[in-house]
Amino acid sequence: MRAQNLFLILLFSTGLFSDYKFETILSDLDDAWSFEFLSEDKIIYTEMPGKLKIADFSNGSTIDIKNVPKVQYSSQGGLSEVVLDPDFSSNRTLYLSYSARNADGKSTLYLMSAELNEDSLENNKVIFEAQAPRRVPVHIGAKIAFLDDGTILLASGDGFDHREKAQTLDNHFGKIIRINKDGTIPKDNPFVNVKDALPDIYSYGHRNMQGLIVTKNGQIYEHEHGPRGGDEMNLIEPSINYGWPAITYGIDYSGAVISPFTEKDGMQQPLLHWTPSIAPSDMIFYEGNKYPELNNSFLVTALVSKDVKKVTFAESGKDIQESLFGSLNSRLRNIQASPSGLIYLLTDGPRGKLIKVLPEEL
Amino acid sequence: MKIAKYPFAVLSAALFTVMLITPISSLSNLIWLASVDMPVGLFSSLEVILFDFQRLGIVLLGVVSIGFTVAFVVAGLISRYSSLGGKYLYAVAGSAAIGVSLILMVELLFQTQLLGGNRTLIGTILHWGAGFFGGYFFYKLISEEKNYTFIIRFLGVFYAYFILGLVLNWVFTPVSAAAEFGFALYELNSAAQNALLRDFTSFFVATFLFSILGVITLNPVWFFSAGIIYIGAGIFNLVAIYAHGTDFNQIFVGEFVLGSWPIALGLVINHQQKKLKE
Repeated sequence: MRAQNLFLILLFSTGLFSDYKFETILSDLDDAWSFEFLSEDKIIYTEMPGKLKIADFSNGSTIDIKNVPKVQYSSQGGLSEVVLDPDFSSNRTLYLSYSARNADGKSTLYLMSAELNEDSLENNKVIFEAQAPRRVPVHIGAKIAFLDDGTILLASGDGFDHREKAQTLDNHFGKIIRINKDGTIPKDNPFVNVKDALPDIYSYGHRNMQGLIVTKNGQIYEHEHGPRGGDEMNLIEPSINYGWPAITYGIDYSGAVISPFTEKDGMQQPLLHWTPSIAPSDMIFYEGNKYPELNNSFLVTALVSKDVKKVTFAESGKDIQESLFGSLNSRLRNIQASPSGLIYLLTDGPRGKLIKVLPEEL
Repeated sequence: MKIAKYPFAVLSAALFTVMLITPISSLSNLIWLASVDMPVGLFSSLEVILFDFQRLGIVLLGVVSIGFTVAFVVAGLISRYSSLGGKYLYAVAGSAAIGVSLILMVELLFQTQLLGGNRTLIGTILHWGAGFFGGYFFYKLISEEKNYTFIIRFLGVFYAYFILGLVLNWVFTPVSAAAEFGFALYELNSAAQNALLRDFTSFFVATFLFSILGVITLNPVWFFSAGIIYIGAGIFNLVAIYAHGTDFNQIFVGEFVLGSWPIALGLVINHQQKKLKE
């Protein structure tokens, strides 16, 4: 019995669970950025050049969706996030974030709702245009999440050259936006009655957000790219200033100091920061049953460290991290759990892949 | 010495210009931080200005050196084959070099402005002005007869400029400086933290000052002093590996380079001074 116990302890402690196997489901994806499950073996996904596609794993077919908005595919911009309405099964509505030129020819972030009808989008409606015009589409943000009350959160990045504007409320640079599904502004938004503040702002002082999720208990988590160092994970609350660029744990790409300060009263500290940078690109909170060892943990994909960070928090608030799937050695762009709880990863770049993480069979 | 003068004059002018350029970004950043009620004071201002001069500066030094090389060669050719010439030609060339370099930095690097100080019109004008003075400085350097001390001084300043990065890390950001050497500062007890901070900071500050004193006085003893410390670090690094069983640490290569560099400068000064006496 003791020998059996010892065997079991060794089995678990030698990282058997870390020896995951992978299966490539799709390949040669053209700068794919995000995906959502329509069913267990069917996904809808975006490609940055402006393609929205549905792939069916059961028969290997892929179809191009028609009537997709024209996007500005340049630098970091293009067709970014696709998310399904919480009532998608009944209303067939989905939401797309993308960068495009505004009326003045400047690049900015848009959010569009549309109904998916077979292979085409219908009733397209731009429900948000960021007041964050920039020369080129960099630091867009573009992540979308739904709150339990049906309102939409949208991450709007700081535009790189406009980082200081993340600290003022008269623009959408470096902000998380909250709007209703029809684009109107919820009356209980934190800045609706604040003079000179845009009423759709929910929180501010962000940089380039690439992960935005709402957990089942209604908490909002976000992560964002720092410059050199200072990637952050934050718990988002309304009206809070997250400090960028007045406080940061990173320095500029050029080596310049962005701020000598890392904290200040009235500016929220991150839950954790990654220094040096890992370039976090997406995040889920895993609550499935296919990988018991990952249950109730944040899974954060990373471009630079080419892995998935499993993140949990001790009661003290200290983060506990573990690196997963590093054997893929790929810049990971997106992560989703299928309806049954299987994890899928999207790799970054012009020849991207969709990879299924196979659970261990003991 | 005549041939060697020109490349070192370009590098000296580039370093001088970088010294003028980096505070533009630092100060514009500090002004903004103060405007959002950040507690900007003398210490934090020094931290920003000095770090920018060293870390941002070392990147810019490469860019400015390339820009100046092209601009001053063109200015030299114009000067040779036309009636134009003199200090203002080189000053304008320096200004143009900075202007073109800044534009290329934006167009070639994600089309974003990496230099914070160049995001406003006044910042751009100040950068062009810095290039103007850099070109003028270059002209002054090449229009005077130079002996070996010019090159010694440049190499000494450049050495000190490199060491300055380590000094600043230990003075302003000791936690990350210690981490680079494998120490988790806050996991050490208080006495150990104190010992680590004072000894490492003193080590780098001393070698920095030795090299600066060497540049000012041209007394080879200062350069030898800096060199002996780093050569010693390299030797005892190897002793730690092979006699005391620590892991192999390739930093000894850097230590020998940092030791050999000032010793070589000291030897040249010694040699030249002996020749003069003869």
